[in-house]
Formats: sequence, C-alpha cells, structure tokens
Amino acid sequence: MIIFEKEVTVKNRAGLHTRPAASLVKLSSRFDSEIFLIRDGFMINGKSIIGVMTLAAENGCVLTVRAEGEDAEAAVNEIAELFERGFGEI
Amino acid sequence: MFADLKIELPFFKEKNSAMIATGFLKGIPSSPGIVISKALVIQPEIFISSNDKVSSEAIPIEIERLSQAWKDLNLEFKAVMERIPESNPGAVNILETNLLIIKDEYLQKSINTFIYEGYTAESAVIREFEKQKVYLLNSRDKILRERATELDHVKTHILSALKQRCLQYSIAKDRVLIAQSLTTTDFVNYKESGAVAVVTEAGGIASHVSILARSFETPAVIGVKDATGIIKNDELVIIDGFTGLVIYNPNKELIDKYQDKIEKIEKHRIALGKLAKEPAITADGRKIHLMANVDRLDDIDSANLVGAEGIGLVRSESLIINYSTIPGEELQSKWYREIADRIYPNPVTIRAFDIGSDKYVEGMPNIESNPALGFRGIRYLLSRTELFKTQIRAVLKASVNKNIRFMLPMISDTSELVKSLQIIDDCKKELSDEQIDFDAKIPIGIMIETPSAAMMADELAELSDFFSIGTNDLTQYTLAVDRTNELVSDRFDSFNPAVLKLIAMTAAAAARKKIPVGICGELAGHSAATTILVGMGITELSVVPAMVLELKNRIRKMKYSTAKKNTLKLLKLPDSYQILKILEQ
Repeated sequence: MIIFEKEVTVKNRAGLHTRPAASLVKLSSRFDSEIFLIRDGFMINGKSIIGVMTLAAENGCVLTVRAEGEDAEAAVNEIAELFERGFGEI
Repeated sequence: MFADLKIELPFFKEKNSAMIATGFLKGIPSSPGIVISKALVIQPEIFISSNDKVSSEAIPIEIERLSQAWKDLNLEFKAVMERIPESNPGAVNILETNLLIIKDEYLQKSINTFIYEGYTAESAVIREFEKQKVYLLNSRDKILRERATELDHVKTHILSALKQRCLQYSIAKDRVLIAQSLTTTDFVNYKESGAVAVVTEAGGIASHVSILARSFETPAVIGVKDATGIIKNDELVIIDGFTGLVIYNPNKELIDKYQDKIEKIEKHRIALGKLAKEPAITADGRKIHLMANVDRLDDIDSANLVGAEGIGLVRSESLIINYSTIPGEELQSKWYREIADRIYPNPVTIRAFDIGSDKYVEGMPNIESNPALGFRGIRYLLSRTELFKTQIRAVLKASVNKNIRFMLPMISDTSELVKSLQIIDDCKKELSDEQIDFDAKIPIGIMIETPSAAMMADELAELSDFFSIGTNDLTQYTLAVDRTNELVSDRFDSFNPAVLKLIAMTAAAAARKKIPVGICGELAGHSAATTILVGMGITELSVVPAMVLELKNRIRKMKYSTAKKNTLKLLKLPDSYQILKILEQ
C-alpha cells in the first residue's frame, strides 16, 4: 500500500470552518485512498465532515495530510493545493 | 458626531394605559431592513436526557429508528434545497454543508456505537454531538467556537426526525419569528411560509441565521437576551435590522416613526434601481473594491443600502470630537464593534486618531505656528503611548469577527511604522495573556499622505498589509499649499502631475508586494479621476455613501486595459490643465 504525507498550512483567514471543511471532504471523497488529517497527534478521517470541523484548525495552523492507497500521491497533492489556495477565500 | 449611538436604552411605560408597556431590546443587527409586524414566539425544545437506556433486545429497534431518521432527514433537506433559488449561493452552501454532516458515515457509525452500549437513539445522538462539540469549543478561535451552534442545529434536526415532529410552518405568515435559535431548514420553511423578520437569542454574527437572513433579504436581529421569554406571542414588534433594536408593543408615535423610515427606504431602493447589487468591475473584468467613508453611524446604513463593499475609512477622531476627554477602552471598543457588526461581513478600516493640525481637540491647545507640519497623526500617538495603546486594545477587542483593518495616519518614515507595529504587538501579547479574544492577524495598514511615504513606498510595503492614499494631505504637502490659506488655496490641485506621479509610485510599490492600495481622499470621488486612478493600479476606492453608485457606474463602463495605457501617456504631460483636458473628454 502506498502511503503519502505532506504538511499544509491553513491560509484562509477564517480558518477551516464549515465551507472549507465541506470542499475538503468533497475533494477527499473523490479518491479511493483513505485520507487523514493530523494535528498535534490528533488524527481524523478526511472524508468525515464532522471530523474535519472538529479539528478546529484556525488560520496559520499546520496540519499533516496523509493518504493511504493507490492514488495516495495525487490525493495529497490535490488536497495540499486546496490549502495553498486558501479554499478560494483568502 | 456619534451622539445617535445610545448603548443604554430607555425603558418607559405609557402613562395612561395600565395594560400595555412599550419595551426596547437591543441585539446585534445582522441583516438590514425594518419590519413592523406580529410576533411568532417559537418555544425551545423540551429537554431530552443523554442518559436514557434501553434493554439489549431493543437495541436493533433503536438502530432501525435512527437509520429511518437519517433517511427522512436526507429527503427533507433535498426537498428544501430544490426550493431555494440558485441565486442564493449563501443558503445553498449552508444546506449543502448540513447535508454533508447528515450523510457523514463516520458520524452515523459513532452514534450507533453509543446505541450498542445500550443508549436510546436520542441519548446516543446527544452524547455523540456533545463529544464533537467539546473539540470545537476548545478551539482558540472564536469563529470556530461559534461553529458549535451548527452542530447543535444538525442535532436538533436528527432529534426532530426521530420524533417525526411536524412543525406548522404556515402559521408564520407575515410574522416576526422570535426564537432561541433557528435551524437552517426551519429558517427556509418559515421564510417560504411568509415570515417577515427574525429575532434570535443566540448571537454570532457569522452564524447561519445571519447568512441566511442576509441572502433572503430578511431583516434580522440576533443575540437578543431572553427574547422568547420577554416577547409574547401575537404582540406587535418593530425590528430594526440596521441598528439591532427590537421594540415590542410600540406606541403610535413609534409606529408612525418607523412607518416613515420604511417608506423612505423603499423610495431609496426604487431610485437606486439594480445597480446597488451589481459588483464594481470594469468592462474588461478588473475588480475594484468600492467602499464608503463613514463618520456617523447613520452613514453605515446608507453604505449598506448602496451596496458598498465595506468601509474604507472611519476617522476615529470624529468619535471623540464631542468629548472633552478621550473615551476609555471599553467605550471605544463598543463603538468599533458596533460599526464592524453593522457592516459585517464586509470589512471596515478604522484609522487611528489623527489628532493635531486642523483637528483641534480640547485639552490639546493648538499653539504650533505650522501645525500641518507639526505634532500630529502618528507623531502625536507615538509620544502619547498610553492613549495609543488604549485605542489599539479597543480596536483589537472589537476585531473578533475578523472584519476590522487598522490604519496609521501621517506616517513619514519607516521608523514610525516599526515603532507602531511594536506597540501593536505588545498590545496583542497583553490581550493574549489576559485571554481576551481578538483577530491575531488583523491587517495593519498605513496612510500614504506625505511625499516621503510615497517615495519610500517599497520599503513601507514590506511592513504594511495595505496602503490608503490620503490625497488631500498628499497634495498639500507635495505642492506646499495650505488649502485653508486663501492666498494660495487656488493652487491646491490634486491633478498636478507631481501629485499623480507620487500616487502612481505608491500604487506600483503596492502591486509589487501584492498588497491592496486604496484612495479615501476627495480625489477618489472626482468624476475625472476614476480612469487614471484605476489605470495606475489602485484596487480600492472609498467615497461618501451618496457617491458610491455613481462611481460604480463609471467603473462598470470603463476598460482597465485602455485606462492603463492612457495613464502612462497622461503621466508624461507637463501640467494638470493638459491632463484634465484629456480626462474630461
């Protein structure tokens, strides 16, 4: 199994609130890999909106995106890019 | 000038009527507009315990009940979504997110785990959501903490679905909803049944109700303490979504006064036509942030009505002009918060006190022989650090909803900016230590109003989050013309190429650092200046509310690409006569 990881920073000002969380879950669900977000050792499933919301990741917070599966690399890269663009709401 | 802002409200009773008392409640204005109508008080749900247990034989039944509830909810949400017009992206977003939560398999599995432990479906739902809420409530971020309410709403939905509750939405016709808080689908259903305004006890200006109310153009006041307890069903209420005032049992005088206001707003709307809702974009697609300058709270309502995308300048010294002393931190903070709330979700730029020079304040005798070149703006603030810190702390405290920008006046070299930023950092640290919420990334910008600042724009841009060009002072300092001096005031001319070149230098430096650069001086509203300013790369224009639509009209008609080319030519002309001749064509 392929495992891929990357660090990302929350760039949009309002943090990882509902709308960004929703776009993240939508994107994650497009991949076959299992997607995880890790913050301070706390790991949640990236395909669970309630998980992403309860990460309570504010602006500036650094997270690790981890994917496990055949399309792990593509998944991590696309998710990292979504963070980079600040979910389109910088 | 802010005399119309009364934080304490009078509570008075009609003398000759023993039965009806007019009452005033104050909340946060979260969606503009005024409505006079009867109240519909929605009583909160009855309490369900999180500790109800079932016997092990009943567990499969509970699992099945929950699974049926999920299915019902899915259908309910989809039905509501289909009835929302596409033109309502705010509402669609919220409902989509709720639907995502409802569809979340991990959440469902987690709730099922509690049922397998022997809890009823209801108790399992409550336990799971309480668990999730703890994570959010522990967040350091206020907005994320407010999101806990969203979870509560989904919880309410699931619990209602379990009870197969049928709300009679139709009774809401022409009524003002008074509720503890409202879930998304409840809001949409009540709204469709004809509800005309909303009052909630729950606060949070970034909350669902605020967003929905604004996108449905329904006046709303939120954060009204104990509204469902104080206001009675069928009582007449006045909702002022501009100021956050809720009046119950209004007397005839108040009804007449607010009827007048409603009529005036209607007339204004019709006169403005559709332009207020159109974006300020040039014909070839360059976005200009068109904002309003505000000195009085009433101006904010006007700014909202004409569709200003924020407040480009609040001259904070206008707040203190009627006082003999400068108000303390709490009072200042209340003012700033009130302004920020009223313009939310758009941003407001608060400029630090620009005291001195022509702006005389009691207690600070103006005895300088050359005040414009004297002890004013940031120079005054840096020498009175206690006063400066009080204002910074007040602004920071008001910034919790992250729509405040703070701006420093009269910067003339980098050291002043460095010193100011240090003081702002100190204040942030103090507030953090006191565990007081604020926007840690509040944008700090500067006024470019001295020629030295314009010439050092590249260096200053390294340290600033945005620029705002004060064209009046920049003109006076560049041309060495005191415009209050009749002997030379005819030489005051912002179209002088020297002034325009400094503006262009500033805009170019901002573009290199990719920071916003705005104009909040008189030049921003000058009919001949729009194309050259946009052509220079100015990204924000801030004018008095009355001028916003006219300016928007001009922006929508012009082409950025053409203006950019013309600007290069215009900046080569030797005097303002020749520049204006072309611009006024």
